[in-house]
Amino acid sequence: MAINILEKRALMGAVAFVMLSLALTAYATWGLGINVASCIPLGTKPFEEASVVKHDGNIYEVHYVTRMWAFEPNVLRVPTGSTLDIYAMSKDVTHGLEIAGTNVNLMVVPGAVASGRVRFNKPGIYSMVCHEFCGKGHENMNARIEVVDGLNDFAVEGLPSSPGMKLMDSKGCLACHSIDGSAGVGPTFKGAWGSTVKMTDGSTRKLDEGFFSDMVQHPTVYSVDGFAPVMPEIQLSADEMKQMEDYLKELKK
Amino acid sequence: MELQKNLRVIILAELLVPLTLFIFGAYHGVLQAMYQAGVIRATKFAGIDYYQGLTAHGVINAIVLTTFFAVALGYATVSQELKSPLSISGALISMVLMLGGSVMAAVMIFMGKASVLYTFYPPLMAHPLFYLGLAVFIVGSWIPLWTWIPVYLRWRKEHPGRKTPMGVVGMFTTFIVWQMCTLPVAFEVLVQLLPWSLGWTPGVNIMLSRTLFWFFGHPLVYFWLLPTYMMYYTMLPKLAGGKLFSDFAGRFTFMAFILLSCPLGLHHQFADPGITTTSKGIQTVLTLFVAIPSLLTAFTLAASLELGGRNRGGQGLFGWWKKLPYFEGERWLFPYLFCGLIIFLFGGITGIVNASYSMNNVIHNTSWLPAHFHLTLGGPVFLGILGGSLFMITGLLKRPVVSTTMAMIVPYMWMIGTFIFSSGLFLNGLRGAPRRTNMGMTYLNPASPSYRPDWWLGANMGMIGGCIMGLACVLFFTVLIRSLLAAPDPALANVPFALPMSEPYHDENMPAVRNFTPWVTVAVLLCVAAYYVPIRDIVKNGEITKPGFTPDNPAAVQTVH
Repeated sequence: MAINILEKRALMGAVAFVMLSLALTAYATWGLGINVASCIPLGTKPFEEASVVKHDGNIYEVHYVTRMWAFEPNVLRVPTGSTLDIYAMSKDVTHGLEIAGTNVNLMVVPGAVASGRVRFNKPGIYSMVCHEFCGKGHENMNARIEVVDGLNDFAVEGLPSSPGMKLMDSKGCLACHSIDGSAGVGPTFKGAWGSTVKMTDGSTRKLDEGFFSDMVQHPTVYSVDGFAPVMPEIQLSADEMKQMEDYLKELKK
Repeated sequence: MELQKNLRVIILAELLVPLTLFIFGAYHGVLQAMYQAGVIRATKFAGIDYYQGLTAHGVINAIVLTTFFAVALGYATVSQELKSPLSISGALISMVLMLGGSVMAAVMIFMGKASVLYTFYPPLMAHPLFYLGLAVFIVGSWIPLWTWIPVYLRWRKEHPGRKTPMGVVGMFTTFIVWQMCTLPVAFEVLVQLLPWSLGWTPGVNIMLSRTLFWFFGHPLVYFWLLPTYMMYYTMLPKLAGGKLFSDFAGRFTFMAFILLSCPLGLHHQFADPGITTTSKGIQTVLTLFVAIPSLLTAFTLAASLELGGRNRGGQGLFGWWKKLPYFEGERWLFPYLFCGLIIFLFGGITGIVNASYSMNNVIHNTSWLPAHFHLTLGGPVFLGILGGSLFMITGLLKRPVVSTTMAMIVPYMWMIGTFIFSSGLFLNGLRGAPRRTNMGMTYLNPASPSYRPDWWLGANMGMIGGCIMGLACVLFFTVLIRSLLAAPDPALANVPFALPMSEPYHDENMPAVRNFTPWVTVAVLLCVAAYYVPIRDIVKNGEITKPGFTPDNPAAVQTVH
């Protein structure tokens, strides 16, 4: 028995629908020039540090570093009408990089470089969101791009500047300890130096050279009240210890 | 013919154990909606961390519940339709492995050693027992198909020229797809992740593991759907009072799923680096072709419902709609299948958005995704599982369904809940809100510098919808528990348990859709064609990354577990 004529028509309709979808997809891709994440060949050596480079024609090449749980740079200010060429690498796990309200939507996979391009025609504050689960601080991982009228040049915040900050960044400290007073997995470093810290056992200690050195070397022994005892041991030379202390003192201001 | 006694016990265990676990899955689903809206503004609630609970919600609801149901329904269908006893030892070994694997993974999740979500992307690292549990579970789920095949071959020899019963076609399709797609993920878990988590290997090729995962991850979606499709093609027309409009449509649909389920996982990786746009494009084309069996199904089922409505006295162009058994106690299963079908219309349409290549840029990994799959997995699949489980449990125990009225409220309430929930999450997805994120802490927290007031509406719709869905689950478990406690109905004692199976209305004879072998062969060739180039590139050039990370610590894992 042959296929029922209505069934046959339904089948033809389904095929026509798929063809139409494919044609529209092809039009969006080639006609409108909206492609998916392009392919930086695997094996390309990822960059190690975040940076912004200005090119001719209001184009900015931005190298984002992603890590648990922050984007570097954290705030990027560019003039209205700028085009951003975005490259992103991960220092640890897989992250997402989405600029809400744009077509930039990337997976940042360790060992590979993700890239996308976006032009900002309207001034405003654009959220950059990590949209792949990257650990318990995932919901804290976001950054901003501020598009401002009448700006001549770009400006960034959240890039490591002093040697102490660079060191803290490279050792992973800043993933848990904020430098701006905001909450994190560990206590914030802002204004911490010289302050009195309450411990889980009810005792108190002043954050000075002695406590700092104890905490770095035996983090599981000294647990601070209100925070999970998850800090790993960190190997530091005396020089490095000094650099970090200087930076913490700087943050006291 | 009555099912073998031991098989009945195994089927009951395979339905009741995952449903018990699902109580936690549902509980935490409601909590997630509250976390997202900022009603719970914390990293943990009642001893369970947000991401720990989210991992359990995903693993229990999407993997454990769905797979056990498919196995249980498969045993009942194959045995009933081929009128043959099936291997009890095979069923028992399969069940023990699957239960053992589930328990291993669940214990690790509840101990907080595996909060890596159900996608478990490395270099996030879970406890080795979590990976081992998953592997044991998967291996256990392979066994049923291989014990059914000899029974089926013998049936074909004894019934030359007879069509394979539609239910058997549906369940074999389900497990053929499962067998094909779980091989890569078993490789990922056993060869890549397990030795790595034990510290035996220095690292894994992250892009390879992602690609192997999604080779599995998308066919998994069809594995969820296929048992429900089987119920749609066999039970729904009969419950509606009619016949299946076209026998060909059912067979063609199942064969098309064998062909197209696997070679299209890359559409989950449109945003990934390291895979060429050509490879992504090829799999886009293959993905969109899946719309053909789905649209054909929509037509055929609507036509079958029309036959039912007209048989029941409905007249005119739309009059038959009024005659369907929307709320009839003795056909309480109908609304479960019907509501699932209505929800699925919207799940299918939004799925085409996800699959449409460049359109994915707008919604990739946003809350659009959970909105979509709560209309597929959370719609037809879940309602099929609830209705099917209640039908089989009460039927096998010869008990009445206590309060069919309450049982019938469940699917309607669930449908309303999912529509509100998903509308909110769709809205937020289009506005860029991320999925899998404890949004109440930052994005939905007015005190946070990251506060996004424009995400408030969607998140709160999600919460209201989620609570309605939770309430529907409470009603379902009330019915289930009351039915379990009820005394067996003496009137049912001598009636053998039987799944309702429709007759075909148009019984076309198309030899091309009556044999699995050519479809499986071409499917394997398509997989090789679609995946050879991307996997070769990834193996050749992908970096073997350094150590793993546990979700609670930005410093790499130093010591072996």
